[in-house]
Amino acid sequence: MININVKCFSQVKYAFGKDELNLELEVGATTLDLEKIIREKADGKLDTVSLRIALNQKYIPHETELKDRDEVAFIPPVQGG
Amino acid sequence: MIKIEIINGPIEFFRNEDSRQKDGAELIFNGRVRVTENGENITALEYEQYKGMAEAELTQLAEETCKKFPIHDLFCKHRIGRVDVGETSLHVVIWSKHRKEGLEAMTWFISELKKRVPIWKWAILEDGSRIPSECSHG
Repeated sequence: MININVKCFSQVKYAFGKDELNLELEVGATTLDLEKIIREKADGKLDTVSLRIALNQKYIPHETELKDRDEVAFIPPVQGG
Repeated sequence: MIKIEIINGPIEFFRNEDSRQKDGAELIFNGRVRVTENGENITALEYEQYKGMAEAELTQLAEETCKKFPIHDLFCKHRIGRVDVGETSLHVVIWSKHRKEGLEAMTWFISELKKRVPIWKWAILEDGSRIPSECSHG
């Protein structure tokens, strides 16, 4: 098993009521597997929210296998300015 | 040269510089908090950042802007935390030889900032409740 730290912001934080989630996943799990889990756990609250994925503080364009202690953020549309 | 700061507290504007001899244009943009958000009256916005990544993305964006446009310097301050209606949340100054490239660089920089820098707004409504803003600009 691997441990993953999920950082929550904006609508993701609102959906879970938490700043972060710590999840245990099977070895070989990918960012898309994790996104599916996150969306299911949100119980519909993120169904209409588009999410980009940041792995260890960098956007990643493709599905990537996760490693133990990775930090993942599901980034809702940003709103700086 | 670039300068990037993410600040929790009021923005102190960059100082006017009368010593620049190669720059014919000094462009200043201040983004301020409007009284309405998604059609509702608000008292403030609260800006949230992904600490570390927000500053890294903003720095990378400023570097890309300086490569893409023939400008000399780009300074930017973005505020996080509570920003009351009317206050400045974003302050950008660009210096360039002529206004055209400075204006184009400013427009591109702010557009890209709103697409990729992980900063979000929470609306503080008049009844004191706090909800994630749904306002997102391309």
